[in-house]
Amino acid sequence: MGLKPATNPDVEAATIELSIDGKTVTAKDGVSLYDVIASTGKIIPAMCYHYTFDPFGSCGMCLVMQEGKKAPVRSCTAKATAGMVIRTEGDDLFQARKKAVEKHLSVHPLDCPVCDADGHCELQDMAFLHGVTNLANAKQKFIPEDTRSLVLDFNMNRCIACAECINVCKDVLMIDALQFMKKGGFNQVVAKGDQPLSCEFCGDCLAVCPVGAITNKYSKYLYKPWQMKKTTTTCNYCGDGCQMYFETKDSEVIRVTSPLSWKNKWGDRADTAKGHGGLCVRGRFGFEYIDGTRRLKQPLVRAGNELIERPWLETMHQVIERFAEIRRTQGSEAIAGLITARCTNEELYLFQKLMRVVLGTNKLDSSARYGHLNFVHASRQALGIGRMPNDWEDITKAKAILIIGSNITETNPLTSVRVKEAIRVYKAQVVVADSSLTNIAKLASHPLLIKPGTESLFIDGLIKASIEQDLVDEEASKRHPQAFAALTAAVTGIALDQVAAKTGVPEETIREVSAILAEAPRTIFLCAEGIVRRPNGYHNVLKLMDLAWITGKLGRLGCGVNTLTEEPNEQGAVDMGAAPEFLPGQARFDDEASRARFAKAWDAALPNPGSRTDLIEILNQCRSGRIKALYVIGENPLASLPASLDVRAALQRLDFLVVQDPFLTDTGRMAHVVLPACTYAEKDGTFTNLEGRVLRVRQAMEPIGESLPDWHIMTALANGLGGRWEYESPNDIQAEIMKLLPGYYNLGQPRKIVPTADQYLSDGYAAEVAQRYRLQPTGGLPERPFALTLGQMLYHSGKMSAQAPGLIKIAPNTGRLRMNAQDMERLGLVEGTKVRVTSERGSLQMPVQPDPTIAPGNCFFPEHFNEPPVKDLMSVHIDPVTGVPSFKLAWVSIEKV
Amino acid sequence: MSVATLTRKVLQAALFYEIWDAMKVTFKHMFHKPVTFQYPREQRTIPDTHRGALGLLRYDDGQERCVGCDLCEAACPSRCIKVISSEDKERPLQRFASEFYIDITKCVFCGYCVEACPVNALAMTKMYEYSTHDKRTLLFDKQRLYEIGERHLDDAKKYLYAHNQEKYAQESREYRYYFPQSVLKPTQPPPKHLS
Repeated sequence: MGLKPATNPDVEAATIELSIDGKTVTAKDGVSLYDVIASTGKIIPAMCYHYTFDPFGSCGMCLVMQEGKKAPVRSCTAKATAGMVIRTEGDDLFQARKKAVEKHLSVHPLDCPVCDADGHCELQDMAFLHGVTNLANAKQKFIPEDTRSLVLDFNMNRCIACAECINVCKDVLMIDALQFMKKGGFNQVVAKGDQPLSCEFCGDCLAVCPVGAITNKYSKYLYKPWQMKKTTTTCNYCGDGCQMYFETKDSEVIRVTSPLSWKNKWGDRADTAKGHGGLCVRGRFGFEYIDGTRRLKQPLVRAGNELIERPWLETMHQVIERFAEIRRTQGSEAIAGLITARCTNEELYLFQKLMRVVLGTNKLDSSARYGHLNFVHASRQALGIGRMPNDWEDITKAKAILIIGSNITETNPLTSVRVKEAIRVYKAQVVVADSSLTNIAKLASHPLLIKPGTESLFIDGLIKASIEQDLVDEEASKRHPQAFAALTAAVTGIALDQVAAKTGVPEETIREVSAILAEAPRTIFLCAEGIVRRPNGYHNVLKLMDLAWITGKLGRLGCGVNTLTEEPNEQGAVDMGAAPEFLPGQARFDDEASRARFAKAWDAALPNPGSRTDLIEILNQCRSGRIKALYVIGENPLASLPASLDVRAALQRLDFLVVQDPFLTDTGRMAHVVLPACTYAEKDGTFTNLEGRVLRVRQAMEPIGESLPDWHIMTALANGLGGRWEYESPNDIQAEIMKLLPGYYNLGQPRKIVPTADQYLSDGYAAEVAQRYRLQPTGGLPERPFALTLGQMLYHSGKMSAQAPGLIKIAPNTGRLRMNAQDMERLGLVEGTKVRVTSERGSLQMPVQPDPTIAPGNCFFPEHFNEPPVKDLMSVHIDPVTGVPSFKLAWVSIEKV
Repeated sequence: MSVATLTRKVLQAALFYEIWDAMKVTFKHMFHKPVTFQYPREQRTIPDTHRGALGLLRYDDGQERCVGCDLCEAACPSRCIKVISSEDKERPLQRFASEFYIDITKCVFCGYCVEACPVNALAMTKMYEYSTHDKRTLLFDKQRLYEIGERHLDDAKKYLYAHNQEKYAQESREYRYYFPQSVLKPTQPPPKHLS
């Protein structure tokens, strides 16, 4: 808040008293006068002010009279001090403010009719409010429009130099892509160095621009703000669950806007700990796939080698008949299902109910299996809860953060803004351990570049260093002396110098980092794809739990081990029981009491627990012929999994494959029936984000073509198969979930819990821990020295964003392997040179390109694209505990062709 | 009854006084100019301020005036206007209305849209004869509106002058908005420092 933000959230600032319009007001010391006046409910016009960053003071609108001063003062840049006597109203102030508006308007082109901000423009509002009708010395700037950027147009004629865009970019997002430049006699906002804008394209500058100086290229000139229908909904690109406004006109998506805007500029700086309301490039500009031409509009049915369009009724009859026939002749065990975590909670719940109750099989899985379940299982094992213990506020207010194996700015950009705020406002120390040079590492206090695949070894090193340096929390070790002894014994074999040699991080640094993490009062451990999507992910999360436990960070408020989810509803998929081992509410499927409870609620017998049939096992059974029919909702295993799993052969052996998707995917092309499903913009429901908050998804437009929401199709299918379901809307499903899982919705806020590991540490811990530290990561062999990583890019999410033309324009598939420039020089490669990449699974020829974020010894290919099929070079490691397939890292050799 | 009254009554009856009295109005009107006229053979002269069908106008060089600002749609109380605008592909940075509809069956002829228009692209004309057998033809599209505007250009201009929306020739050019260089119209003089 204001001029001097609180650097220590634990210490309350001193209070002062001042008089505003004759009333005595108490305020915190050190904040700006504007904030104090705003906190009393009075709104003074201000065009350059926004609560998310420090006041800039360029617009000259927030004038107030201070007793003892002749001229009005700018309240935003003035510090509130004790005993001030302030007047905020009066004719003299009105005239002074009017003069300021006139000053801005005199160099502002009055091209409101063609301006996109028309009707959503603060300068317009101010001119109207102050009754500006005559301008004496109006002049024009005649600056040509800058249309070089891919997503934004800069029309600097309209700029009022409020610097909100520059400030939000520099202060809040810490990207610093914009600057002022004197050009043609006017101060203009340009991209750094007057180059075409090349940044993260989050578009927050567009959101805070109070006039039409920055305009959205996608919706430019199309409609005026008042013409569009605005729907508040939740983004479906990553697990951050950002709220956004979907602006539509009939069945066309025009643009996406964020709660962050110049319109809501009044707030307490402390509010931003829960999020600043912005969006990222995917959310703001990746909406075009929704009404894209590639959407499926009619059901497709296989006829020979072709898929032809058929009416819904006929198709559904066929689907129901085939499923009923397979159930009758082959038994329920011959049917399996896969669902994507991009579906809503209600649909995930219905899916598992459909599979278990109507079709009578427990062979189902969701895309949470690709990694998130590693974290869920480990967290349940240690703490008994299967989600993140901390929320965004905890991350913002942490004093130390360990980010390991996560390119957080790319995968979960808005969670990374929380980390940035922790760095900027609360002065947190951030340790980033990653094998690539990530953007967050550039801002971190301790950026550590570790060798690929050595994340687990690095955690070992931290534990060892904590014990060696006596950083162990006494309370924690005294409470469970046996467990502590077992852990000490387990790590005796680890030598710090060896860890340092293997990970590439100096020994002193490991010691220093472990001291930072142990000594901070609030420490957050964040692990993501580099841990949960790699071999031994389950054990590595548990190792982090061990580290948190011995440093006393387990079961303490504001501390904990957290993860990031890649798809919007991975947490919801687990909570809704779309996994063979869980019933809704993460009740274990083989737990008799829970089974009885759900069997009673659903009035049906549940299938036998048997052994767990997860994603990989389902594919194995498809291949062996045990599964005859597969129901795939939104998933695309053929394009996601490497060739070594032989998904194609598995799907070919199926008697009946139904794919339900908004697009015709690779898997869909092999299907017998393809059902057109809706995207999240066309249906109601909820998503559970990574914090466990349940967020609403609202219908913004009518379904495209004849596509239907997934819950609608599933209800029809269940009724056809004798299910007698009476859901007429997602609300009915929600009502049922509310009955079964009381408190799950909880007004969108998860209950704050401080989990303890007492049960886990006192019960069988010793036997488990000994094994855990014996696992060693496999490094590169001399003949295959490069680590090939498949990973996410900022501009894409999964395979879905590749359908959004806007995002493809920003980040197309270059089809090139990204390498470090030094490595390229060493191998004698230049951009575009073709190389042969060989892994133990095969080899591939492709060109290379340099990438400054790739560390030496690494190479990278975005997982969103399959052309060329780099994923087929990967071998799959299946976690024995959680069944998570990991295939994102492989060792390869690179040679010039 | 007195004798005088009786005598008058008899006299009046004999002379058909009441009929003469009733026919007085009829005879008087034989010498009046008729108020009604024979529509459609005869047409009424319409004042310049008359609010008739709407038309879209062009500049003298044939360029469309409308910049697709949508203010008419916002001003319309009966919501009968629909504007879809886009960028002119041939002249980048020039905004124009790619589609423009007025549902004249809904129009209440208030003239707010004309008042809202910043470039005086819309005007009302003296045209009021558009009865039809097919109601669908009463949804005027962009082409129809320009046709009306062209055919009734003089009326439209008179309407604008009468409603104080437009000033004469040179004066009006200065009185209208200036656009930045990127959206400069050929009808405007180039700015001094660029010419």
